[in-house]
Amino acid sequence: MTASFIRSDDFAAFVTALIEAGPVYGPVAKRSRFAFERLETPEELRLDYDVTILPPKKLFFPPAQDLVTFDGAGFRAALEPTEKVLLGVHFYDVKAIDQTDLLFSERNYDINYMAHRETTTIVASNIQTVSKRAFFASVGADVEPQGHDAFLTAINGGYVLETRTERGEALLAFGAFQPATEAQIAEAAAVNVAALERCPEELEHGTEAIADKVRAAFQDEELWTTLAADCFSCGTCNTVCPTCYCFDVQDTWNVDQTSGQRTRFWDGCLTEDFAKCSLGEGACENFREERAARFRHRLMRKATYLNEKLGGPACVGCGRCSAGCTADIADPARVINQIMAS
Amino acid sequence: MSKPKVAFFDFTCCEGCQIEFTNYGDAAFLELLNHVDVVEFREAMSEKTTEPIDIAFVEGSFSREADRARLESIRERAAIVIAYGQCSASGGINALKNHQSDYKQFVYGADAEQPQLDSQKAQPISAAIKVDYSAYGCPVNKYEVLQIVAHLLHGKEPVIPNYPVCVECKRRETVCRYDEADHCLGMVARAGCAAPCPAYGVPCEACRGFVDHPNVPALEKVLVERAGFSQKRAADKALMFNANDLEALS
Ligand code: SF4
Ligand code: SF4
Ligand code: SF4
Ligand code: SF4
Ligand code: SF4
Repeated sequence: MTASFIRSDDFAAFVTALIEAGPVYGPVAKRSRFAFERLETPEELRLDYDVTILPPKKLFFPPAQDLVTFDGAGFRAALEPTEKVLLGVHFYDVKAIDQTDLLFSERNYDINYMAHRETTTIVASNIQTVSKRAFFASVGADVEPQGHDAFLTAINGGYVLETRTERGEALLAFGAFQPATEAQIAEAAAVNVAALERCPEELEHGTEAIADKVRAAFQDEELWTTLAADCFSCGTCNTVCPTCYCFDVQDTWNVDQTSGQRTRFWDGCLTEDFAKCSLGEGACENFREERAARFRHRLMRKATYLNEKLGGPACVGCGRCSAGCTADIADPARVINQIMAS
Repeated sequence: MSKPKVAFFDFTCCEGCQIEFTNYGDAAFLELLNHVDVVEFREAMSEKTTEPIDIAFVEGSFSREADRARLESIRERAAIVIAYGQCSASGGINALKNHQSDYKQFVYGADAEQPQLDSQKAQPISAAIKVDYSAYGCPVNKYEVLQIVAHLLHGKEPVIPNYPVCVECKRRETVCRYDEADHCLGMVARAGCAAPCPAYGVPCEACRGFVDHPNVPALEKVLVERAGFSQKRAADKALMFNANDLEALS
């Protein structure tokens, strides 16, 4: 595919043209933080964001998604995917999307995720501001981000857009792009390498060493009890995570007793009832009743259990859980480094 | 088939949760009346009943021994008893008085000695009778109440969250109060309200009570370390709606 350049002065017109052609989502300011939202104007777009509260996953896998609605006459699928552009995704979130793409399509092809995913053109962008708890440079460093259609990098005087797919190539028609020079392409590459050096946190060991030692710590009850002592079972570390993909499905009836909907909600393995199962006849069993067991489970999921399936750890180092945990105990880098040092 | 009979009863409370029941707006309220028969409801009608009822919504705390017989008679007549609102579900805001002795003089002044003002500790109605379900909140979330009614009519268990408000707060991508130099009780508060308070920029006060196993020591720690509270203020912070639960946990 190609590498093109657009001047800063022409960039707003490019975004405007995209907005006029269809829905465009990108990072916008939300009070003191950022969130992916539908853009109304190019000025709202904040490519200098550090990290969003929720990952872009929410566009394909909404926090609450109606799957079907029903009434006395039958069922109707609630799914209405629309073509859209998702602009400004950092590479760690692209890596996370690669994971959810796999998890929602292998074996059972999850149409409610994939239909939204297949109608989305993803434009990744370079990290201009590094968030306070990021460690994306040291986690799964050899895993390359795949699932994007183009990559946008801010350089002096403008942006380099490197297209990866036909969909990405089609974006060039919307702006005053010209072929990028060798120097501009080299500058973009240097900008992206430099971002990796600015992470405030890092894992001190490689993926395999971590996977082995974390797994070996499974039986260390004292370790997990201590780590989880302040845990609220609030599930924030799951809810904000770009690679968490668990959900709960609930049917709700309307008062008329014939109509209603089936909805799926994000779920999280840190919440108390996550592992509560029916044993039939009104009885139930919670197979992770203690918060230490739940805390351990997430760490195991992020550092070892899924590595083989995903080709790397199920954590991309975005630091959202670290920053979102009010008790400040969720940070995978700190927990893993502590286990590795023990 | 005759419609299920629904009745409302109130004990120590402000009756705000009953008022909430009339706030659905005409269309939704009239739709509800197509499916249930409201046989007693002091806030909206004068009729009373001694007949058996299918669902009894009991609002208010149990705060006078004299109310026990009335609660028991409701329990005998009702197939399902729902503790309706936080006063009823946990003692709610009334339980704030439980650790004080001078409240009568303070509130009623010269009239403090009237006999009907005598009361004991404000307790949830479950201290007197068996409760089948609770509609939490101060006031209740009227949409959740509708869901509870719809599910019961359908013969299905209502689904009432046992996860903290943070789950719903984060699902709607609200900026955390702790990221704005504020405090919040959302980590120990029972969800089901859709986390409106942090979304409007104010802390959650846990008006729906605690989750089943709130981590209260960790809450105090976070209030001290991240919100700059004194130890005393941190320990008292959740009293407003959870005095009985805090006492039980201590
Ligand atoms: S680790 Fe932190 S964010 Fe995760 S559930 Fe526990 S308190 Fe909540
Ligand atoms: S575990 Fe935490 S740091 Fe890792 S991807 Fe999830 S939210 Fe980001
Ligand atoms: S970490 Fe927990 S919530 Fe997240 S995907 Fe794994 S099991 Fe599900
Ligand atoms: S604002 Fe409150 S409810 Fe929301 S995430 Fe923060 S602590 Fe939890
Ligand atoms: S956010 Fe907290 S205080 Fe507000 S309604 Fe919900 S439980 Fe009550």
